[in-house]
Order: sequence, then structure tokens, then C-alpha cells
Amino acid sequence: MSQIPNLENAPINLAAIRARARSELEIILKNIRGDKCLVMDPKLGGSLSFLIHSSDLKEHGAELRYLTPEPIQTERTKVIYLVRAQLDFMKFISSHIHSDTSKGIQREYHLYFVPRRLVVCEKILVEEKVHSLLNIGEFPLYMIPLDEDVLSFELDLAQKEYLVDGDTTCLWHIAKAIHSLEFSFGIIPNIMTKGKAAARVADMLGCLQAEEPANTSDVNVPEINTLILLDREVDMVTPMCSQMTYEGLLDEFIGINNGALEVDASVMGVQQEGKKTRVPLNSSDKLYKEIRDLNFEVVIQVLRQKATSMKQDYTDITNTTQVSELKDFVRKLHSLPEMTRHINLAQHLSTLTSKPSFHGKLDMEQTLVEAESYEICFDYVEELIHKQEPLEDVLRLLVLLSITNSGLPKKNFDYLRREFLHSYGFEHISTLYNLEKAGLFKKQDSKSNWLTIKRAFQLVVENRDTSNPKDISYVFSGYAPLSVRLIQQAMRSGWRPIEEILKLLPGPHSETKRRGMSYEKQPGYTSSSEILDGGRRPLVFVVFIGGVTFAEISALRFLSSQEGMAYELLVGTTRIVNGRSLIETFVDKLG
Amino acid sequence: MAGVSVAAEWQLLYNRYYRKSEIYQMQWKNVDLARNKIACAPFGGPIAVIRDDAKIVQLYAESALRKLRIFTASGVLISETIWKNPGGRLIGMSWTDDLILVCITQDGSVYFYNIHAELVNTFSLGKECNENSVVECLFSGNGVVCINEAFEIFSLPDLKMPKTVKLPDCNLEGLPNCMAVIDPQCTKSGDIELLMGVGDHVLSVEEDGIQQLAPGIGPLQKMVVSRRGEYVACFTHDGRLLVLSVDFSNVIIEYTCESSLPPDQLAWCGLDSILLCWDDMLLMVGPFGDPVRYIYDDPIILIPENDGVRILSDKTMEFLHRVPDSTVSIFQIGSTSPAALLYDALDHFDRKSAKADENLRLIRSSLPEAVEACIDAAGYEYDKYLQRTLLRAASYGQTFASHVQRDSIREMCKILRILNGVRSVEIGIPLSIQQYKLLTPTVLINRLVYARKHLLAFRISEFLSMNQETVLMNWTCTKISESSAVPDSTLLEILLEKLKTCKGISYAAVAAHADKSGRRKLAAMLVQHEPHGSKQIPLLLSIGEEDNALTKAVEIGDTDLVYLVLFHILQKRAPLDFFVTIQARTLARDLFITYARSFKREFLKDFFLSAGQLHEVAFLLWAESWKHAKNPIKGHRIIVIKKAHELFKNTKEHMFESKAAEEHAELLKIQHELEATTKQAVFVDSSISDTIRTCIVLGNHQAANKVKTTFKVSEKRWYWLKVFALATIRDWTALENFSKEKRPPISYRPFVEACTDAGEKSEALKYIPKLADPRERAEAYARIGMEKEAAEAASQAKDGEGELLGRLKMTLSQSASATSIFDTLRSSFPGVSSQF
Repeated sequence: MSQIPNLENAPINLAAIRARARSELEIILKNIRGDKCLVMDPKLGGSLSFLIHSSDLKEHGAELRYLTPEPIQTERTKVIYLVRAQLDFMKFISSHIHSDTSKGIQREYHLYFVPRRLVVCEKILVEEKVHSLLNIGEFPLYMIPLDEDVLSFELDLAQKEYLVDGDTTCLWHIAKAIHSLEFSFGIIPNIMTKGKAAARVADMLGCLQAEEPANTSDVNVPEINTLILLDREVDMVTPMCSQMTYEGLLDEFIGINNGALEVDASVMGVQQEGKKTRVPLNSSDKLYKEIRDLNFEVVIQVLRQKATSMKQDYTDITNTTQVSELKDFVRKLHSLPEMTRHINLAQHLSTLTSKPSFHGKLDMEQTLVEAESYEICFDYVEELIHKQEPLEDVLRLLVLLSITNSGLPKKNFDYLRREFLHSYGFEHISTLYNLEKAGLFKKQDSKSNWLTIKRAFQLVVENRDTSNPKDISYVFSGYAPLSVRLIQQAMRSGWRPIEEILKLLPGPHSETKRRGMSYEKQPGYTSSSEILDGGRRPLVFVVFIGGVTFAEISALRFLSSQEGMAYELLVGTTRIVNGRSLIETFVDKLG
Repeated sequence: MAGVSVAAEWQLLYNRYYRKSEIYQMQWKNVDLARNKIACAPFGGPIAVIRDDAKIVQLYAESALRKLRIFTASGVLISETIWKNPGGRLIGMSWTDDLILVCITQDGSVYFYNIHAELVNTFSLGKECNENSVVECLFSGNGVVCINEAFEIFSLPDLKMPKTVKLPDCNLEGLPNCMAVIDPQCTKSGDIELLMGVGDHVLSVEEDGIQQLAPGIGPLQKMVVSRRGEYVACFTHDGRLLVLSVDFSNVIIEYTCESSLPPDQLAWCGLDSILLCWDDMLLMVGPFGDPVRYIYDDPIILIPENDGVRILSDKTMEFLHRVPDSTVSIFQIGSTSPAALLYDALDHFDRKSAKADENLRLIRSSLPEAVEACIDAAGYEYDKYLQRTLLRAASYGQTFASHVQRDSIREMCKILRILNGVRSVEIGIPLSIQQYKLLTPTVLINRLVYARKHLLAFRISEFLSMNQETVLMNWTCTKISESSAVPDSTLLEILLEKLKTCKGISYAAVAAHADKSGRRKLAAMLVQHEPHGSKQIPLLLSIGEEDNALTKAVEIGDTDLVYLVLFHILQKRAPLDFFVTIQARTLARDLFITYARSFKREFLKDFFLSAGQLHEVAFLLWAESWKHAKNPIKGHRIIVIKKAHELFKNTKEHMFESKAAEEHAELLKIQHELEATTKQAVFVDSSISDTIRTCIVLGNHQAANKVKTTFKVSEKRWYWLKVFALATIRDWTALENFSKEKRPPISYRPFVEACTDAGEKSEALKYIPKLADPRERAEAYARIGMEKEAAEAASQAKDGEGELLGRLKMTLSQSASATSIFDTLRSSFPGVSSQF
């Protein structure tokens, strides 16, 4: 199975977006004739695996390398750097060229910025005196479909950059990406936002539209009906909790990178010492599509049922002589590799989830979210620090504690910070400073309103039937993600009825109808909730600025599949996150 | 019949009719073609006139200084200027495709004038042309070929680029008898090609070689190449006119003239005939039959067009061209073609004669062709009355015909409206319909704009639903240049009123022009109207509006633009000034900090100092302290951290950081000492907790205690650290002793956990009973698999909902049961796991 997902069932033509990106890349490679060395930054290399097989890249005569500070080892005389426009990469490239020059190696250097060239990057190249040696171009890759219902802008550091550094480059990137979608699929008539970054993106989108109006003459009815922009900052509680869906747990425990897992070969039942196996995970795997969004407990049951029925078939077949039955059986056998794959993975997961420490952590998350016993939570976190538990795990709970209480009382705040620095080293002063600037771990400055929010949105649901869920709370085994509750509300009745509660959450909110679009004049266009051609429901594009977890995507899929749901959903995000990966972006050691 | 008078003016050349119609009475006065050098642009373009300094002429009441005058084709003066250029005699003068007048003087200087007689460019043909004067030059489209006194030949394939090419030496001993140039577009090599009649043969000269053609053809007196470079017409020394293919291999026409005196001018009239012009006579020679003769009293100039020749005299502008087939079919004397009958029918209809109907009946079946012919013929007419009558005939016929292209009439009306517009005497562009189609409407509009006929250009582009942006843009720029006396705000209003009619016009471009014209304030006002932020900003920078640019860039939110402005300001202003500028704008400030953090740290410190953000400087220093780690003077690192500590102290909000820095410095000192005494480099840069653990692991309890007291490590933490450290070295006795030292501050949990994690069940059992909380006890038992004890402890816990029990069961059973499920699954498919 390939890491490049099948996009046939996508609600809009995502395949075309991917095909365009792919052909732009191929044109770049074709235009530089002959053998060449393609140097990509590692993150981009990962993103491209959603686009093109590395074997296809090699077919264009490209030798593949990842960008590191070390000089590139290659015989090729043409070097193409394909990198995101990031400051530190410019230093690397400059040092490569300096190293070549000092060794007397002459090469032809090409630099393609993804997604566009930036003045600040070129400034560095000029200062390093290599700008004139480079042929500079752009590879305008603003987004990549990760699956048939998920688009990623591939901005790993988005949240840290705008919350801590105040750098809004990523917001511009998002606006630009949405604007380019509007060129293909029509101007999105309704926009709802919540959070500072969301408001900013909506403004930028307005600017872009004014500057360069998307030509909508060949699009009758816009294919995307509503855009919901949600700033991750609004709900930092959800990603800090442990996801309980199959896909979410795989990500929490093993880590899904660029649509694939990497596990010890032994986990997959292959006896090879120390070898790692890559397991691609996307909806092209039918069984995975069926079970990815389920609560892990249920996954085990489903797998058991399937295996039992297969075992039954297996017994039956030994007694049969009918060719047609044999054929049937063989057809069923095709799903065997998928079955085996997920049985192996599920088993591996269950050994990890059954550890008492994990249960302790889940209990504590529940207690933190309920926010009714501050002392217990405080003691628990304190103890984790004393025990020097893994840094990211501790910070996750620390952030949860801080957010649900609108920060910690000064005394507690300083105490935990001190214990933290004593346990993990003074270099983490900047990690703490980052978290403080981002408002994730701070001094208490007002009374917490988390309890009001929790009640208003019914975030904690007592009745949890994971096998036959009635509510999205199953994805966190009892906690309904705030982000998805907001979206649920937005789709049901807009912001109006909950304005008072919304004000308790960070950042402004808005709801706009965009006017002056050509299609409004067409007589055929009446109301937004009307079913479109081909029986498709109107599409809502939910964009998470700062990342989304697999569990939240699962919850959204669950919503979309509910009876009487008027909308289809497409998720856009800066990246897929979990608590650990999100915290990691804020971790910054001095020195 | 109505058409008689029309056809009466035609001349028959073998089987084809030609007609020569007057387009204009020239509006100029006192222009004598004989006294002047004249350059006429094709496609009804302008006429440049300057007194010929090669001729001796008598001066009337005029200045001795020569004037270069530019007229429209109708003789209306567009502009004039006094010719003051040095460089000797004017050798050649011609128009390029984009209506730039090129003048070449004796010394090889090339002067470029626009139609407003403004010198727009000038350059030299090169040293050789300067040393040996240019004596002859021949233009072809946008290129030129020159010969100098030394008979060296140079070509300039594209007048827009000052790149002279020297053609191979032909060993000429005198000027050739005649010359012709073939346009690069028509040659095989793509370079300019020169044909010269030398001696009794022809030389073809190109950049990469000379070729001798047509030996023995006899000395040629005159030579001219057809429009597309396929044929060449020559006049021989013995008075013959020859038309040959361009490689001189094929004689197509040979005609012997009455005189062997070479004509003054030789020109192609379309592709069908050749015009020869002597003093008082114009002779038109076709492939067959007798030539046609026209007599002139005054000198004339032939201006070849693609479909005929314009004839300029002092008084008139005429157009000589072949009568098109449709016109012939209507107006030929005695014509009974359907078109002629239709035209006639209209005449009858107008006179209310019943014969109209009779005519229509006759041509019923071929009515569509008749209509088409009338429309077509209308297009060729310069006379508005005839145009109208022909179109009326077509429209009359159309009402009776069912299968007619209904759009044709409308289209033709449109074209004629435009043509009549530009042909008017004031505008003076006498385009024929074929010329118009070849020139294209876009070029026509550009020419009108160039001639500052903005209103007409605007109307035409509106009429053709073309983009009016270029017209409007040019108008605006011209307006700005011409309105130096109008105050900024008034001019802005005038401009905006016009500009707002056109969507998508670039205000930035207009503003850039205003700036170039020295109206910076107007530029600043205009640029505010530009919707494209990305275009606005570079412009604001170029007019020195940095603060505006920065505000705008921040407003748009494109960080790239913000950086663009930042770097610009950084270069222009003194650091302090720069700091003040960005301090007020959050995004700009944050971006500067991000950039400077990696690449301009010292500068960043200056910034923070100037802004009074001492704690930020402290953070920077503290971060730098790590870089001093390898510094042999170990104290230096600590000094830097202490400096950070002092800086933090300046603000109340950063007391915590200040204290932490102090502790850090202290820790490093202790760690250095420890490394010195233990001779093990394992301490520096580990945390306080790790340092304690390492000390205990190394058995140095005294040092561990010292660290503990120095940093006031809480008993809670101390217990965890010590217990884990002892468990790491599996010193269970020491652990037990430690447990007995005093009652541990956080019960015996650390002991139980350390032993359980290390897999030491029996050690764990020493401490589990000491756990006070029955819950904890139950869980601890469960973890080491002692079900019974766990259940017992659980029963002591007040566990109303039985939640604890449930969870215990899960802890106990889950791993076992899950594994067993999977094991059964596996065994049902032998070989599954290894195969897939």
C-alpha cells in the first residue's frame, strides 16, 4: 500500500490539487536537465511523500539528500535545494556552498523556496555572499491532501511562531492557501471565526480577495459553503488530553508521521532483529477506514468479530467442493493482510495501554478536565516533576492544570517552575518563558471560567457507551473536545445563541456573509443549506490554525456521519498534532 | 446605371481594374517635396519632413536653421523641432514599426525621435562609421544597413538595440549601382540580407557570407524587393523591367520601357504590379498587357502598403490599389452579377420603382452571395456615401434572404465606424480595411494613444469591448506630465474621476509616474488608492514614505512585505531611529526580533536596551553563557550568567528568573568543583536533581547532601531522588536503611515504586504493608500480581462504586486476556503472521 492516499471520495477535487502540485514539481526537475542532486529539508521531504514516490523523483535523474548542516556528499554537478523558506536553512545552504568553494568544487546551484521566496531569506543569502551563485525559484506548495477529507498546510511551527514570536507568516500562508482553493472551487460565501489567529486569517483572506479577485465565472455554485476558522489557542485543553481512538492512540504511542507509522519489525510479526517497518495508514486501507475513528476498546471487539467470522469461513472451506464458494473465500482472503496488519498493531497498542501508569495518567486528565479538585492535580504534577518523568508528559499536564484554572496562583506557579528547573535543568527557562508568552502556563490573573465553559458545552459526558456512541465524547472516553463542540454549535445555529459563552474563550469571534459574488444574482441559487447537485450535502471547511488531533478529526467524521446532519465536512489544519508534538514546539533549550 | 460614375475612374491593366482615389487634400502649406527629405510611415502613419541638406535650395522667408517637422498623413502638423544635431549631413531617415523616427547622420550617429519630435534616444553606429562617413543607408522594417566612404558595410538588425554588425568585406571599389534589403523575417538565416547590383551581377551579402547571383544580368539601376521577400523587381541599364524570384533564378516578368533612364522610384503595388516613377510620369506595369500611365506635374512620393501604394504629392494623398472583386462585380459597367442587381434594386426601391422587385426575383437563389459582396465592397470604400449605400443594399437584400450571416453587416458597420473615425482629417490615419486587419485594433489604439488622441482611443476600445486600461493609464501619465501647474489635490481629483471608471487599473504605476515627474506628494496620494498592497509598498519606499509603507505592510499582514520595509528602513536610518520606528508596531518589532535573534544578536541587545527591556537582554546573555562552556577560563561563563542575574533584578516581574540565574551560577560552581574532586566529567550541565542522583550513585553522599542544602531541595523531592538513585545501583540494604531514617514525607510510595519498577517483588513487599492508604496498598499489590492481598486491601478502601475493583481487575487481567485473544486469533490462521 502506498503512502499516497486515494482521493476518489473527496468532497472536492483534492486529486486535482495534488496533481497540480506534482506536475509543478516535475516541471522544476525537468527544467534542470541531466543528473542532479535534490536536497530537501527533512520536513518537506516527508510532506512530499503524500505527493510523489521517491522512485519517481529518482526517475527524473535526481539523487535524493536531506538538508543538514553538514556539506552534501555528491558527485553531481547540479544541486537543487528544495526547502521551506526558513531562516536556519539559508545558513546551511550558505555553508554548503562555502565548503564547495573552499574545496574548489564547481557546481550549479538552484534554490527553490517552498512555497515562495522571502525577502528575509534572500537577505541572509546576500549577506553570506552566495545569493549571486544561486538560481532562485519557487515551488508554490501551500497545501497537501493527507487523506480524502483532510488538507494540511504543513506548517509545523505555526502555533509557536505566532503565539511566542509574533511571526504571522504562517497565517498569511493559510489565507493564501484558502484563497487559492477559492480560485478552483468558488468564493466561500460564509465565514465563521473564533480566536485571534482566525480573525487575522479572515482579514488577510479579505485583503487577498480585494487584491486579486478569484475568478468565479466558471463556478456556478461555490463548492465550499462555509469556512470555519478555529484558532487552536481557543481550545488547548483537547490536544493535551490522551486520545482514545485507534488512530489517536497509534499517534500517541508510536507516532504517525506523514501518513505512516514506523514500528519494530517484530511488532508486525516479521522476525528481523532491530529492523523497523513502515506501515502506511490512510483510507485506502478499507479496514483502517472502518476502525480508525472508533474507540480503541471497540476496535479490539471489531477485530475479534472479524477474525472469528473468518475462522468460521476457514473451517467451512475445508469441507466444500463448490467452486463459487471457493471464489468467495478467496475474495475474502484479500482482506487478510489488512486484518493481520491491524491485529498486530492493536496487540502492540494494548500492551502499552494496559500499563498502570497510563491509567493513572488518564485518571488525572479526567480530574483535571473536571477541574473540581485542584489540590489533587497539583500534587500529582508536583510528583511527576520530582520523579523526573518525561518532560513533554509533565508539560502536558502542567498546561492542562494552568488552562483549566486560568493560570496558577503566584506561589504555586513559582514553586512548580523552580522544581521544574531543578529537575530538568536551567536551560529550560526558555521553555517556561515560551509557554508563559503563549499563555499556556502562567500566573493566575483572573478567576477561572473553565467550569462554566465545561457545563455550557457539556464537555464531560457521564454516559459513555463506546461501542455505540451517541456523542463525540467517545473519542476521549468521556470528554467531548471543546473544539468540536464549537464546530457543532457553529453548524447548528451559528455563534449568535452562544455569544456570552464564546466571550469566555480567548480571542474574538465573527460570522460573515460575503457579498457581491456573481452567483448570488443567479436565479437558481436560493439557500445555503439546499442540497447541491448529485445529492451532495453542502460542504463545511473546518480549518484548525495551530493543529488538530486525530481524535478531533474522528469526532468530526462522527458528526458528519450522523443522521440529519446537513453538512459534509472537510478538515484543514496546519498539521496533525498530539499533546507531545504540540508541546515539543515550545520546548527550547537555551544554549 | 448608378455605378457608372464609379467605374469610370478605373484603369484596366490587362484583365484587372485599378483605381486611384484621393484620400486627402494635404492640410500643410508651403511644403515642397522636392526641397525636402521625407519619411513616410506605412499603415497611414506620420510623415517626417526636413529640408534636404544634400540639395542646394533657395531659402525663402525662413530661418537658416533646419526644422524637423512631423505631420499626419493628412498633412496636419503634429510637432516640430529645430534640427541642431551635429554629425554632418542627414543620410537616412525612416520610421520603425512603433513609429519612432530614426535619423542617421554622416558621422554614424543615430537619433531617435518620437512623433512629438522629442529626442528619445541616440547612439553611434561605431568607430568605423565615425572615421569614414556614412554615405548611404537602407532601412527595412526595424533594421538598417549602412555603407561608409571606405565601402564597408554595417547592419543593425534591430534598431532598438545598439548592436552594429559588420558585414563581410565585398571589395567594393565604388558605391554599388543599386541596393535592396531583405527583412530578417523573410530570410532563411534570420539575419538581414543585402542585395547589391555590382558590375554585371548581383551580390547577396549576409553576416556569414557573400554570394554572387545572376552573373551577366547586366548592370542594374534600381532594385526593390516585394513585401514578403519572395520577388525582386529590377530596372536594367538597357531600360528593361525585370521581375525575378529573390534568388534571381527565375525571370517572371520582362517588360521593356521606352526609355533606359532609370526611374526615380520603383515600388510594388500589392503583389500584382510594379510602379515606376519618373519626374512627371507614373507607370504601372503588370504581368501582362499594356502598362497604365499617370501624368503628374509635381514630384510625388510612393508609399508602399500591403494592399496598394499611397501617392503623396505637395497637394494630395492618393491611394492606388487594385479594385477588389466584390466592387468590380457591383460597379463594372454592364455587370449583371447578383450583387450588381441587388445594388440596382436598392436604387429602384429608393425611387419607388417596381423594378426593384423584378431584380430581386432574378437573383433570389444567389441573394446571400450578393449581400456578402455588398458588405465586402462597402469595406473597401473611403467614400462614406458609397459605404452607406452599399450597406443599405446589403441590408435590403438581407430582409429577403433567409441564410445570411446576420452578424456580417453589424461587424462591417463597426469596422467602418472605426476606420472613418481614424481617417478623419484631424486624426489623419488613412487605413484601408486590409491594413486595419493586418495592423490589428490593439496596435491602432496604441498608435492613437501615442499620438495623444486618448479620447478616440478610449472610445474605440470601449466600442470593441477591449480593456481600456492602457489608454487610461497613458492618458493619466500624459496628464500628469502636462499639468505641472495644477495643484496636487486638484489634479488628483481630475485623475481619480477618470481612473475609477476602469477596474483593476494600477494606481501604483500611475503613482510611480507621478513620482518620476517630480510630484512626490501626488504620488503619495495616488498610491493610497492602489488596492494591491504588494504593489503599493515598493512604491511608498521609493518615494521615501517608509513609515506609511511600514504601517501598510503591517496592515496587510504579509510578513514578506514587512521585512522588505524593515530592511529598507534599517539601511536608511540610524539604529536609534530605527528602534523607535519599529517599537510602535508590534508585528514589525516581533519580526525584527525573530530575524535578529539568529543573525544580529548584538544589535538586538542594543534594541532591547533602548527599549528598556533588560530582561530580554538577560535572556540573550544567559543563552550565550552556554557558548562559553568550552572556554578555558571557566569563570567567564559564570560571570555572564551573573550579569543576567543582575539584569533580571531590575524588574519586579523577573525576580524568579533572577533567582534562577543566581542558582544556576552557583550550581555550575559546585559542579566544577565536583568534577575537579571526582575527576569525572559528568556533572557540568546536568540539573540539580541529576547532580544529586549522580552523587548518590557514585556513593558520594556528603556531596549529595551539600547540593541538597545549598539549593534547599525539599524533602519530598529528596526522597524520590535518593530512592531512585539507590534503586539504580540496586543497593537494597542502603534503601532499607534510608527508609528507617525517619518517617518519609510522602509515605513509602517511592520505595514501593522503585522496587516494583526494578522487578524486586520481595523488596517491594517490605514497604507495601507500610502504605497507609488502603487504595494505594491495593494497587501496589495488584501491580506485583498478588490478587488476594489486593482484594483485601480494596475492601478496606471506601470504594462505593466499586470503581477501584474494576480497575484493578483490568490491571491484573488486561495484558493477559488481550494477549490470549490475539494468540487464539493467530493460531486460527497458520502462517498468517509470517506471511504478511
